[in-house]
Amino acid sequence: MKTLTIFLLTLIYAIHSQGQTVLKGTVKSILGETIPGVNVYLKGTYDGTTTDVKGNFIFTTGVKGDHILVIQGMGFKTQEKFIDMEALQSEYIFTLKEAFNELMAVTISAGAMEASDEKKAVVLRPIDIVTTPSAMGDIIAAFQTLPGTSTVGNDGRLFVRGGDASETAIFIDGMKVGNAFGTTANNVPTRTRFSPNLFKGSFFSTGGYSAEYGQALSSALALNTLDNPIRNQGDISLLSIGMGYTQTLVGDKNSLTASVNYFDLAPYQSLINQHFNWERSPYGWDAEVSARQKWGKNGMVKAYVHSEAGGMQLWQPLPGKEGPGQLIKVNNQYTFAQTSFKQTGQKEWIYYGGLSYSDNDDRIVMETLHVNQKSRLTHGKLAGVKSFSDRVSLKTGAETYIHYYNETVLEDGLQRNYLDQQYNLFSELDYYISHKLVFRGGLRSGYSTLADEYWLDPRISLAYKFDNEGQISVAAGQFSQLPLEQQRVINPELQNTKADHLILNYFISKEGRTLRAEAFYKGYDHLVTFEGIPRSPTNIQQEGEGYAQGFDLFYRDQKTLTNTDFWITYSLIESRRKFAQFQTAVQPGFAPRHNGSIVVKHFITALKSQLGSSLTINDGYTYTDPNTPGEMNSKTKSFQNLSISWSYLPKPNLIIHLACSNVLGRDNVFGHQFSTAPNDSGRFESLPIRQGAPRFIFLGIFLTLSKDKTANQLNNL
Amino acid sequence: MKNSILTFALFLSIIAASLAIDPAYEKAMLSQLEQLGQAKTQEEFQAAANAFARIGEMKQEAWLPQYYAALAYTRMSLQHPGNVIDKDALLAKAKEHLSKATDLSPSNSELVTLDGFIIMARLSADPQRRGQSLSPKVMQTYGKAIELDKSNPRPLMLMAQMEYGMAQYFGQGPEKACGLARISLDLYKQEGANASENNLNPTWGKEMAEQLTKRCK
Repeated sequence: MKTLTIFLLTLIYAIHSQGQTVLKGTVKSILGETIPGVNVYLKGTYDGTTTDVKGNFIFTTGVKGDHILVIQGMGFKTQEKFIDMEALQSEYIFTLKEAFNELMAVTISAGAMEASDEKKAVVLRPIDIVTTPSAMGDIIAAFQTLPGTSTVGNDGRLFVRGGDASETAIFIDGMKVGNAFGTTANNVPTRTRFSPNLFKGSFFSTGGYSAEYGQALSSALALNTLDNPIRNQGDISLLSIGMGYTQTLVGDKNSLTASVNYFDLAPYQSLINQHFNWERSPYGWDAEVSARQKWGKNGMVKAYVHSEAGGMQLWQPLPGKEGPGQLIKVNNQYTFAQTSFKQTGQKEWIYYGGLSYSDNDDRIVMETLHVNQKSRLTHGKLAGVKSFSDRVSLKTGAETYIHYYNETVLEDGLQRNYLDQQYNLFSELDYYISHKLVFRGGLRSGYSTLADEYWLDPRISLAYKFDNEGQISVAAGQFSQLPLEQQRVINPELQNTKADHLILNYFISKEGRTLRAEAFYKGYDHLVTFEGIPRSPTNIQQEGEGYAQGFDLFYRDQKTLTNTDFWITYSLIESRRKFAQFQTAVQPGFAPRHNGSIVVKHFITALKSQLGSSLTINDGYTYTDPNTPGEMNSKTKSFQNLSISWSYLPKPNLIIHLACSNVLGRDNVFGHQFSTAPNDSGRFESLPIRQGAPRFIFLGIFLTLSKDKTANQLNNL
Repeated sequence: MKNSILTFALFLSIIAASLAIDPAYEKAMLSQLEQLGQAKTQEEFQAAANAFARIGEMKQEAWLPQYYAALAYTRMSLQHPGNVIDKDALLAKAKEHLSKATDLSPSNSELVTLDGFIIMARLSADPQRRGQSLSPKVMQTYGKAIELDKSNPRPLMLMAQMEYGMAQYFGQGPEKACGLARISLDLYKQEGANASENNLNPTWGKEMAEQLTKRCK
């Protein structure tokens, strides 16, 4: 018993009598400022402390011998120092270096407009797209309220900075989408095929974009699908023009969403007077399935299939001729399927890639002429990003495109087609010289088997961040795009058309206010020129060239007015180019000089409603009047569209949305169509190209069904 | 005598091993839990977070120090007076510690609750931009935590808070929120009754449940 007592006493003695040493010091930054909150401790012990407001630390320890002192501060590089407990300094001074923090660092904002909930430098949120009144739920129509774009009301596609619609490439989860817009008749506007509810965010570039994207002279639009739906639910939509149902099933590591939609404008158009003379109103159905599966800890595999069919038939009057004009019938079948993956590898590697297939089948009947057009596009991609340090990363990838196009004229038994395969390699280096300065350099190479052409496009950008959070960026680069499939099928030897971009951007986003100003110059070369009319070109050459230059301004404010969010956009686009059938350099009909828009959304809590209005204006579209000499010698009156919308949320799982475009009923004109031959008095007769109807009224009821009572339409608002 | 000491020492070490008692760890945890409980200022939260990080470094197999470090950073972010970037940086630290804890103890209701709490803090750092996309995520995560352990009062209490806010927003009655708060309060009482003396497991949140039930009356 005695021994035990001695043993215990010795133990206690050992603990208490051991000389307690005191460690004391100060932690500073390189600039000499003291740093509070720094964790200072001896590795392998419980002994340590946190620096106080003045950056001082003091703690006692009982350990002996050599130890490592760790100095660890948030936002700083951790320092470790060998310390001999028998030879302590009376006071230590440590200087910490700032660690690189992506959250604080500059981003390249030249040409880029990002819609995301999470990231910074964001211009729009996904939700803003759906609730823009003039958009009527079409993603592209919402982008038309962003700087650098022009509204072309008789087309509906995306026109960026004096470029035509084909100059914008659209990607879903990094994979190219062929024929992203619905097939339509001439001068009847189209819509995107894909529902905005499918996407968690988007990256819209109006120029100077990454070497990862190619075959687009003006713009790249990358849409990213949702990662993980929240819960099992069913969504019913009842619209004034159709209906739809979506079912979502959520598992632990995977999820599935399936939806079917049907629309038919016939009932609506029988109630509301139309300018267009419809024989059969537009109708169609679509079905889609998307599946996601987590792959390991950080990886994800997604698959998506969208299939649709639809059609329309209408009489289009011919200038200078009596009667209803020409009967045009359009039928379309379309399928887009893709799968993509992303995985984190070892040694700071991230891999991603995918495979997509777009299949478009158009059957067009003009009077007695039956034309079939088939387009099949396969895209494969594999890329990897390697981070060499927190400041340097390199993205490298390989892509291939297989493009088959076929057109047939049934009566004449005429058929022509082509098969092109493209191979691309791209590589891009991001180098943060400091928190404030970033450099990006990229190269994209390609080869087309049909054109038998190699090309190499260099791209470069630089961004600098000021102390006030504002940042300035510059981007320059070369962009290549092979001509339209309807032209390549006639002349398979056509080579790439080329564009050079130069962009200067200023961007600042602070506490609910965003300002973005951008100046740009775009030079075009090797543009396609031909004789005759666009539908049946002859003597196709590549002698066109031109430019587009100007600037745009964007201001968004969510703060100044309570419950109100508004944005104002102005774009000046000055464009001259020699292209298509034009003999001289002209201002294209799709590139109005002055473009502006205002979008205002106001939430009234008492009414559980969001009211929105948007105004889009430009100074008119150029067109050629053959009665006076010259090309593009005339201009339409100004285009103006004031749209309003009302979203009402009586319950968390129910939303009623009412919208009306062009409430003032302005008779917008997009150009004039002229007779091919002059009349008896020697004049070419004309007809204005008008809107399909003065207004479009949309009513939608969206109901979410879920076992979970918290199911909430807020995320769909 | 010598034998009996050996036996005693052996006995002690067997008990220590079987119960994984580590007096130094326990002592450090208890003292820091008290610090965290009393923390009000940014400096105090930072000191607590640092201390738990130090303990976690020493006791690599324990999820609790990482859990409390993450909790300290989350509460620090919620009370941070500064801008979104600073708040997000703190939540990134919280997430870092939470994922260490989750690696040690997967499918743990407390850790899933804290995950939801971090997402909620992200939301409240910038409600205008993040509210719509994150609020269903917060609810889903709390729901998952409840499923994992029906006797855990914290996810119920936090869910009740979210429900209360949403009911106010939609001008609906707070019945559901109040029901959840009451259930959580009962569970808190049980938790208090069952807790051992030197308990290291999470017990926080009772006051928040009490405040909410008061507002329900």
